[in-house]
Amino acid sequence: MRHDFRELKLERVTRSFAAAGGHAFNALDELTMTIRRGEFVALLGPSGCGKSTALNCIAGLLALSGGAISLDEQRIDTLPPEKRGFGMVFQNYALFPHMTVERNVGFGLRMRGMSAAEIAPRVARALSLVQLSGQAGKLPGQLSGGQQQRVAIARAIVIEPPLVLMDEPLSNLDAKLRIETRAEIRRIHGELGRATIYVTHDQDEALSLADRIVVMKDGVVQQIDSPQRIYAQPANLHVAHFMGYRNVLEFEVTAVNAERVELSGGAVRIVGTLCQPLDGRRAVVAIRPEEIVVGTRDGGANSVRGSVTGVEYGGRDSLIEVLLDGGLRLLARSDVPAERGDAITLSIPPERALVYPA
Amino acid sequence: MSAAALAGRGGPAVAVGRRGFDRALLLAIPATLFMVLLFVYPFLYGLWLSFAPAKGGALANYRTFFTTPDLWPTIGITLKLALPATLINVGIALPIAFRMRVRGRWQRVVTTLLVVPITLGTVLIAEGMLNYFGPKGWLSHTLQLLHLYDGPIRLTHNYWGVLISLVISGFPFAFLLILSYVTGIDPVLARAAATLGAGTFAQFRHIYLPLLAPGLAMCFCLAFVQAFSVFPSAVLVGAPAGPTRVISIAAYQAAFEQYDYSLASAIAMIMGFVQLVIVAAVLGLRGLFYRGPVAGGKG
Ligand SMILES: Nc1ncnc2c1ncn2[C@@H]1O[C@H](COP(=O)(O)OP(=O)(O)OP(=O)(O)O)[C@@H](O)[C@H]1O
Ligand SMILES: [Mg+2]
Repeated sequence: MRHDFRELKLERVTRSFAAAGGHAFNALDELTMTIRRGEFVALLGPSGCGKSTALNCIAGLLALSGGAISLDEQRIDTLPPEKRGFGMVFQNYALFPHMTVERNVGFGLRMRGMSAAEIAPRVARALSLVQLSGQAGKLPGQLSGGQQQRVAIARAIVIEPPLVLMDEPLSNLDAKLRIETRAEIRRIHGELGRATIYVTHDQDEALSLADRIVVMKDGVVQQIDSPQRIYAQPANLHVAHFMGYRNVLEFEVTAVNAERVELSGGAVRIVGTLCQPLDGRRAVVAIRPEEIVVGTRDGGANSVRGSVTGVEYGGRDSLIEVLLDGGLRLLARSDVPAERGDAITLSIPPERALVYPA
Repeated sequence: MSAAALAGRGGPAVAVGRRGFDRALLLAIPATLFMVLLFVYPFLYGLWLSFAPAKGGALANYRTFFTTPDLWPTIGITLKLALPATLINVGIALPIAFRMRVRGRWQRVVTTLLVVPITLGTVLIAEGMLNYFGPKGWLSHTLQLLHLYDGPIRLTHNYWGVLISLVISGFPFAFLLILSYVTGIDPVLARAAATLGAGTFAQFRHIYLPLLAPGLAMCFCLAFVQAFSVFPSAVLVGAPAGPTRVISIAAYQAAFEQYDYSLASAIAMIMGFVQLVIVAAVLGLRGLFYRGPVAGGKG
């Protein structure tokens, strides 16, 4: 078991399961990436895309069907989990029901042969980190879901593992506690100074926590990039869709000018930015609602006119649905009040209208 | 979420709230009647009979039992067979069931193999043992042919014969019961322990064993009661005149050779009392362990 490392290398890591028809399908398909010491990596993707599978393969809980995992040039993919020594927060907590919170958290330290006198202060510190100091004597069955989740976090980090694996550790917390614990996880990560792999399907969580984000779909990696690039430059339409580009419209390509693509559909003509090589006459434009500028006067080149057909109040701003003159519908965020039936002009910055092959 | 929990929310619970009586309890009437007719009545009758001997006072039978040199030692003889047999069965079944905890081909093969002795019954087992372990049996033939051991083999018609028979007939029962307890424990708990540095033995010691303890106690009790009432094998492969004169033989002889039903009832009562003491002690120990759901969290 190692206490520190420089990099963890995943090479074409694949895991398949037997499907209903008897043939196999890949729950995780050739995941290749390198995680460096100190890095915080988020695995992001919709339910069933293979995030937990990837985490279990790294932890040693699932055997690989193909590929290799190495820690500083040393193959570890045949080692059992107890020899890898990565801390793991399970999606369903997996707390030991017959041990008190204190003993649950101290379990990993006991397995490392520490004395009770060494264990007690560490457990106390871990419990205070997750704000559970008063609950040390309870059994897991006597805790709320969110408290159980925090015990699971404390249990994984108290052993100060070289790599912490977290499988949706905040899914059961309320909004306030989620944001607090998120900050706490980031702080703990910095304090341990090692590496964290964090599974989530919440893009805000991934964006706010991670140094790098891995976006997955159906077991296949779609993009590995910094949060900024994932947010602004999705590699393909799947990533764009998942990252909140809620307007996805199909158009005819009328002209391609290096990065600039001119498109038309019905009465609408817009200019967008090419993100992926086109393979035909048709293309798809992805636009984030909050990047559309809402106004009442004619907005110039890349602007379209329409009328408001729906308003969804959202506090600081509202999400409005606009029916364009050509019959298309767009969602936009507006911080000026709008009402159904209002005539409106939407300007789309050409560099924020991302064009992908249809 | 189990069906029982769902039913508890919708049906009977509502009835309790409204009328103060749970109609589901009516369903227990047939079983209760059955118990009264088949168990409670004979028990009370036997209890009364044991205090009504042909001659002497109410306690005469009990005095006889504890003063007759071929009666009172039967308690010790039976315990000396039943306790080791139960310990062996539970003790061997536990590690094997733990090894087989992952459902797979082996689990199915072994389970099927072990169901066979259960269906055979003790008499067939005794017959097989006489063929196999007897002085002229396959075992001694094989050993002699291989020149491994030429002396006489005494594994039948003595203490060991009965013990072996109790293990053969009792082991599958203990194994299947324990296997069902083991597979009921969420394997994700052991995996969590593994990521925290616990090897296979530590997972067994810290996760499985404490969670299994109440089930093991129950299994021990059932297996013990089964072994304590040993009768056919004590006669067929034991030495019923001496070393394996177990308590049920004493009761049988009192009832059907001396026709003293009253004494036989007293022996049966003593037998029941000894069982009760052991079972109560084991179940009392069970209270020291965690009892509750054995899952690791939500889901
Ligand atoms: N033991 C298994 N046997 C067969 N198929 C499995 C098994 N475990 C997972 N799968 C399948 O593999 C795919 C990926 O599962 P995985 O648990 O990794 O998803 P996930 O991304 O963690 O989803 P979620 O966000 O819902 O937890 C799913 O289609 C799932 O049905
Ligand atoms: Mg998952």
